[in-house]
Amino acid sequence: MQLSLLQGVLKTVRAGIIVIDADQRIVFWNQWVEQHSQLPADGMQGKPFSEVFPDMVDGRTHVAIRAALENNFASLLSQTLNKAPFPLYANPGDAANSVRMQQAVHVMPLEVANLPRHCVVQITDVSMAVAREKKLRDLATELESQTLVDVLTGIANRRRFDLHLDDEFRRAKRNGTPLSLIMIDVDYFKDYNDNYGHQHGDQCLVQIAGALSSVLNRSCDLVARYGGEEFTVVLPETNEDGAMQIAEAMRAEVEALNIEHARSGVANFVTVSLGVSTVVPEHLSKTGSLIHAADRALYQAKRSGRNCVVMYTDVKKKAE
Amino acid sequence: MFQLTELQHDALVEIFNLGVGRAAAAMSRIVDEEVTMSVPMISFQSRAEVAKTLGSREGRRISAVAQHFEGAFNTEAFLMFPEEKSLEIVRLMVGQSFSLEELSEMEQEAMSEIGNIILNSCMGSFANAAGKELKGSLPTYLAGTGDDILGTSGKEWDGVVLTLKIDFNIERHHIYGYVAFLLDMPALHDLQCYIDDYLAKLMG
Repeated sequence: MQLSLLQGVLKTVRAGIIVIDADQRIVFWNQWVEQHSQLPADGMQGKPFSEVFPDMVDGRTHVAIRAALENNFASLLSQTLNKAPFPLYANPGDAANSVRMQQAVHVMPLEVANLPRHCVVQITDVSMAVAREKKLRDLATELESQTLVDVLTGIANRRRFDLHLDDEFRRAKRNGTPLSLIMIDVDYFKDYNDNYGHQHGDQCLVQIAGALSSVLNRSCDLVARYGGEEFTVVLPETNEDGAMQIAEAMRAEVEALNIEHARSGVANFVTVSLGVSTVVPEHLSKTGSLIHAADRALYQAKRSGRNCVVMYTDVKKKAE
Repeated sequence: MFQLTELQHDALVEIFNLGVGRAAAAMSRIVDEEVTMSVPMISFQSRAEVAKTLGSREGRRISAVAQHFEGAFNTEAFLMFPEEKSLEIVRLMVGQSFSLEELSEMEQEAMSEIGNIILNSCMGSFANAAGKELKGSLPTYLAGTGDDILGTSGKEWDGVVLTLKIDFNIERHHIYGYVAFLLDMPALHDLQCYIDDYLAKLMG
């Protein structure tokens, strides 16, 4: 009576149960495993684990089974670090497409009267939790993109820059005033990271952001982190000369930080290259052309030996 | 506080270094990237001292993975990292950034697995050296101050805590954490006997 009750429970339970003996042979698996592996339990009885799951040999689950049988240790295999170790499928459609069910696996030693130790492998379907967290992650990313401050440096982020540039561009168009843009890139920053590590790389960016900000004192000027090691500055009502002066002051300010950089190709401290562009926006002009021009000037600054400022009009003159 | 002889101390450091070395190899296989771990020092402290080291007074939050071991001797084992460090470890292991300042449910499970690997390897190495068997439970994830986790405010307890400082390296990030074993007097006595047996075997 009691045995049939237990068998009923194993049959009904919404989790996979596999029992393995001391010789790593399958003793039993429940109906849930049958249903999701599409392999009948009867045919598996007595077969070695390595024969039934050849692609799992010496993998994390196999190691955990050995730890349970030999050392009496229980193990947890999270979905996050192991994805889907067993060839189990939510439904026949997924099986046909080889899309495995997301699994959390527990491996536990099991004492059996008069026999060497066995182990129980319990498999849970965590697809729902995975989907829930993906939604949460997406939401968090979306929220992050809606904030306006760069998390690392505390200055404006890319989104704030885009909004600010749009506003100032419209204003300049209306008033017929010049608008300048500076694009800034840290020289040999990848080598800096490789040499000093990412934590120092982050600190370096924070210091540079501070140095760049210190040069500006009008409330309509904005320095933003454009991405990675790139910064950008929006200077409304500023002509070429004014923008060049500010760019040069920023270059000097970063140099004055005197941050050691043994792998820089230009100096033994951290430097930046700067590209400047200025427009008096006309009726049909777009912000994209201003950014593109500053980018071209920055590219030219890189080619001219770095740690310098280049104005876009000079790039254009040379090309002509 | 309780002290081991220099020889016993060195043997234990060696045993645990072997253990975390194996754990690091297992973790490297998971992330397909080099993970290294070492135990630079071990010490015996009271629960209150350990909690103080973990910044309990300042209310510093710790995330921990706990497991119970019994057999050759009985102990509660903990892997502990400051909460922000555990975020760093899990996210480095998983290779995904997540802006939440707490471990999500799935991340907690991943942290439990990491703790499970490290604690099983440490105890496995010890059991192996002692030639004894220890039964290990499944891991449990805990978060709170060191006091909350080690339960110092709870019942009277006369034991000591064996703490291992763990130096964890992944993707050029260096992270320090702690493994702690709560040992009551009989467990401490057993532990000492096993180390002596191990040393006697080594000396032939």
